[in-house]
Amino acid sequence: MSGTGFSISVRDLSLRHGNGDVVLTGAAVEVAPGTICALLGASGSGKSSLLAALGGRLAPVAGQVLIGGRPMISRSRRRVQARIGTTYQDHRLVAQATVLDNVLAGLAPHVPWWRCATGRYAPAHLTRATDLLERLGLHAALHHRRAGSLSGGQAQRVGIARALVARPSLLLADEPIASLDPQTARDVLALIAREARESGATVVCALHQPELAATFADRILTLHEGAFRAGVEQPQRSAA
Amino acid sequence: MKAEARLMPKQGLWLVPVVALIALSAPRMEFGRVGLAFASDASAPDIAGLARFWPPQIETRTDIANLPSLDPDRLPPFSRLETSTAPIRELDPDTLETTTRMSQRTWLVSPLGYLGDVALRMVETIEIGLWGTLLAVVAGLPLAFARSRAIGLPFALQISARLSCAALRALPELLVALLLVGAIGFGPTAGVLALGVHAAGFIGRFYADAFDDADQHPIEAIRATGAGRMSVFIVAVLPQVRASLASATLYILDRNVRMATVIGIVGAGGIGQELKGRIDLYEFGHATTIVIAIFIVVAILDEFAAHLRKRQSS
Ligand SMILES: Nc1ncnc2c1ncn2[C@@H]1O[C@H](COP(=O)(O)OP(=O)(O)OP(=O)(O)O)[C@@H](O)[C@H]1O
Ligand SMILES: [Mg+2]
Repeated sequence: MSGTGFSISVRDLSLRHGNGDVVLTGAAVEVAPGTICALLGASGSGKSSLLAALGGRLAPVAGQVLIGGRPMISRSRRRVQARIGTTYQDHRLVAQATVLDNVLAGLAPHVPWWRCATGRYAPAHLTRATDLLERLGLHAALHHRRAGSLSGGQAQRVGIARALVARPSLLLADEPIASLDPQTARDVLALIAREARESGATVVCALHQPELAATFADRILTLHEGAFRAGVEQPQRSAA
Repeated sequence: MKAEARLMPKQGLWLVPVVALIALSAPRMEFGRVGLAFASDASAPDIAGLARFWPPQIETRTDIANLPSLDPDRLPPFSRLETSTAPIRELDPDTLETTTRMSQRTWLVSPLGYLGDVALRMVETIEIGLWGTLLAVVAGLPLAFARSRAIGLPFALQISARLSCAALRALPELLVALLLVGAIGFGPTAGVLALGVHAAGFIGRFYADAFDDADQHPIEAIRATGAGRMSVFIVAVLPQVRASLASATLYILDRNVRMATVIGIVGAGGIGQELKGRIDLYEFGHATTIVIAIFIVVAILDEFAAHLRKRQSS
């Protein structure tokens, strides 16, 4: 499942929601494979919408999104989507399923459906899932709890584990540390960075903390008035 | 004042149809017959009065003349032989006059035999309910998939599944059973098919509603991983709807067992068929036993369903 990261090309992208809200107009950016990007911007500037477009969940009104060179509106986008991990601002866990099952759900495109139905996942997959949960500070006692009974910060980390479990080539993380205390937040960002470095994955991570973004990211993208703000990128690639 | 004056007659207006109903329709309903229920000796042979329904009949008696293979020294367990002498009137073939002579007949009596018969019929009734439910689930599940907006099959398929469910639900079980008895003959097969066909419409609708009422956000999240329809369903939909599917199925099972006691009346097997047969033979004591048995089974079923529901919600 590991592989090289996806490149991202956003060309002249315009996005609009169903109710007519225009979010982006002519945004453009190129991201090289393996780059960790922090996505900054005021609330309502369109970070979540951009991530939806990158993941093929929101079709552009105009322009193009290419992930690994493939357009995200084509019929074949499912193949690309299978190599994208996504975390959501509102977590989007299956409340009635256990923590572990929610993490294993991230493997759904990679294992036959009967394994999901019977819970007979390969041992390597199971250890990968429990290992990720442990490293995110969610210990064995929690793994068989219903996801609906978790605290906000716990649910957030389960969402991160689900996004990472299949070792994606692109991670789209929407404010993955919003519900976490400062120490846990730094640990989680470090974990995401390490996972990305190990597999060479590209990361786009919406954040609200510029100072954390500076230490975490190779590159900072800022959304402002419907487009990427030019000239404030910092090419400070961390040595780690 | 003015408004009140206009309102007064309007308020009494509902009396008009009621009075009309009583005046025109009551005589046609022959309500006087209610009194016959309590008459000690009913005037016509086809009117029993309630008295003839008591006591409930729990034994079976068979004329041993009809049991040529019976060995009097080795009777079936718990049974006994009873001999009775009764006058019978018959036509003398020579004189062509009716004569009365005393005739002795011997009966094999099983004191609780009829309870056994009823129990067997009751088991058959419950089997009809179970099979009807299984059929409903097997036929209803694909309908539910097709119908559900959340599953998202082509729109034309959704509409036709919606129409099919409504059509199936609109077919009353009793009517379908009657038609099927005509088509394939008496017996439980007709009952199972009738219950299954009707309940499939319900299952299709209840299951689809459950799919649509599920939280769509996690479903979209798993769909966005590029997983196939089946995987999305198993991973994101099923855990959310499992409880609703179980309670809908339980409701259908409960309903089907109740219905199974009734559809036998048109010949579709089960206890109802026995009940109808006994009433037709004026064997009202037997009918009482059956009605009591139905009452007990339905009451137990009620308790059982309530118990399961409670366990599920906790
Ligand atoms: N599902 C939706 N339907 C309609 N409008 C939407 C929807 N989602 C977002 N919007 C609108 O699009 C604009 C951008 O929203 P978006 O969620 O992308 O912002 P954001 O940068 O992620 O904000 P935040 O930092 O608060 O999460 C907002 O004006 C919002 O009201
Ligand atoms: Mg957002």
